[in-house]
Amino acid sequence: MPPTHTAQSEGPSGYREAVELEFAEATKRYPGADSPAVDGLSLTVPAGEICVFVGPSGCGKTTAMRMVNRMIDISSGDILVGGRSVKDRDVDELRREIGYVIQQIGLFPHRTIADNIATVPRLLGWDRPKINARVEELLDLIGLPQDMSKRYPAQLSGGQRQRVGVARALAADPPLMLMDEPFGAIDPINRERLQNEFLRLQAEIRKTIVFVTHDIDEAIKMGDRIAILQVGGKLAQYATPSEILLHPANEFVEDFVGADRALKRLALLRVSDIELGPSNGGPSIRDTALVRDALSDLLQHGALHGNVVDSGGRTVGGISMEALARLAKA
Amino acid sequence: MILAQLQIRGEDDAGDSCVADNGFCPSWIADNWERYQDPFLEHLALTLISVAIGFVIAFGLALVAHRRRWLIPPITQITGILYTLPSVALFFLLLPLTGRGKTTAVIALVAYTLLIIFRNVITGLEGVPAEARDAGRGMGLTPRQLLWRVELPLALPAIMAGLRIAVTTTVGLTALVFLAGAGGLGEEIFNDMQFRSNVVVAGGLCVLLAVVLDLLVLAAQKLITPWTRKVAT
Repeated sequence: MPPTHTAQSEGPSGYREAVELEFAEATKRYPGADSPAVDGLSLTVPAGEICVFVGPSGCGKTTAMRMVNRMIDISSGDILVGGRSVKDRDVDELRREIGYVIQQIGLFPHRTIADNIATVPRLLGWDRPKINARVEELLDLIGLPQDMSKRYPAQLSGGQRQRVGVARALAADPPLMLMDEPFGAIDPINRERLQNEFLRLQAEIRKTIVFVTHDIDEAIKMGDRIAILQVGGKLAQYATPSEILLHPANEFVEDFVGADRALKRLALLRVSDIELGPSNGGPSIRDTALVRDALSDLLQHGALHGNVVDSGGRTVGGISMEALARLAKA
Repeated sequence: MILAQLQIRGEDDAGDSCVADNGFCPSWIADNWERYQDPFLEHLALTLISVAIGFVIAFGLALVAHRRRWLIPPITQITGILYTLPSVALFFLLLPLTGRGKTTAVIALVAYTLLIIFRNVITGLEGVPAEARDAGRGMGLTPRQLLWRVELPLALPAIMAGLRIAVTTTVGLTALVFLAGAGGLGEEIFNDMQFRSNVVVAGGLCVLLAVVLDLLVLAAQKLITPWTRKVAT
């Protein structure tokens, strides 16, 4: 058996280890503005986790993200990537090490898909065979057929273009990724697909990711941790999704997560994650369904309990309204 | 600058009733075809040299102005004045400096291309999608790499459109440079403006040259901007 490299997770070519990202009193003040756009932001994103910046427009979430790769200069405070201040780095070198995905995608219309994906590897001076192999690997990773590589962005659908945008950001295997509303311009059905795909991808590649969105549902779904920002660039709460739903730090957070936060909490769990009682019949519910969807099923059938089944259709237990109510209240 | 009208209808044409009637005479054209060869090549050379020099200057100015936006209005104004100056007046203005001949002609012709090319390069660069620029910067392209690998390629359709206008305009203006003693097809037209066959051939060659050069630039554009030909499937 060949020696195994335990330091790297398994993947097509073995991924570079993710890095920790730290905001230390990071502040952005624009000349002439009354209040800072980002006000003394301090938080740490552990390596390999998705941190979602969420908040209403004007809360400084995109500004905060863009300070990481110095697309926007830091006025005071600091940001550390893997323990190193971004201010000490050569700006172009820094950016080549950080994956960058924006809502408008920004594929180069005059470059083929393969050339688009190869942008950063070329800047880094990789040789041609290595680049070609990497492009092939990434097309597989994002589930696009190889013959797409010779097409131009205008020949792809919105969802395909978005996948290529992600592949391009991943091309040089950056330890850190910045994603600014990456699925914002995609229709709801495809957005959900892309979100799921991306979470599956992340389970494999384990990057440190800053993900900006204005959509709290997307934040709850995508984030290992969520940073809720309020207007004026102040951090209102930084915690895991369930913590934020269970214990909102203040009224602003409570308002922002919405009146249905008990339901949102149920959406964090799958039926297989919870303790099931004995089955008392009722509509069949798959064990992989979200608890919220199971509740919706029960309500739709006007049933007080459901029959939980596995992939083979075998009953594995039962779920009841009382159990769900207890779960939502917790 | 006094120009004498010549009679290009030779003695030996005297018996040709078509020539005598000042008609459109294919036989005369066939016999006198060679007369137009050198002026035609001269015309072509003057056009290409002028557009090439004009392109280099205007393109350089546009790149400088792309970085220093405040330069755009003054450059536009100055090249605009050059553009509106009547060509005959410009020849006379240049006469004491450069004398009669090709130099004067080329300087004037270059002056007319500047505005067109400058404006089109600037327009092309301004039309580059902001998100392509943002993504490029965010991935670590230096400003120079961004310009040459992203902005200029995306500006190519506009730049080439400017080149097409510049080429056709210059072919037309070159028909006047004989006034500065630089030859070209204009001289042939002027040599016997009364003679229909002559005007049709010399004028026709001007038009043909303009059309062919325009199509060549268009073909070049299609060749170097393959992404504009492929649209959503």
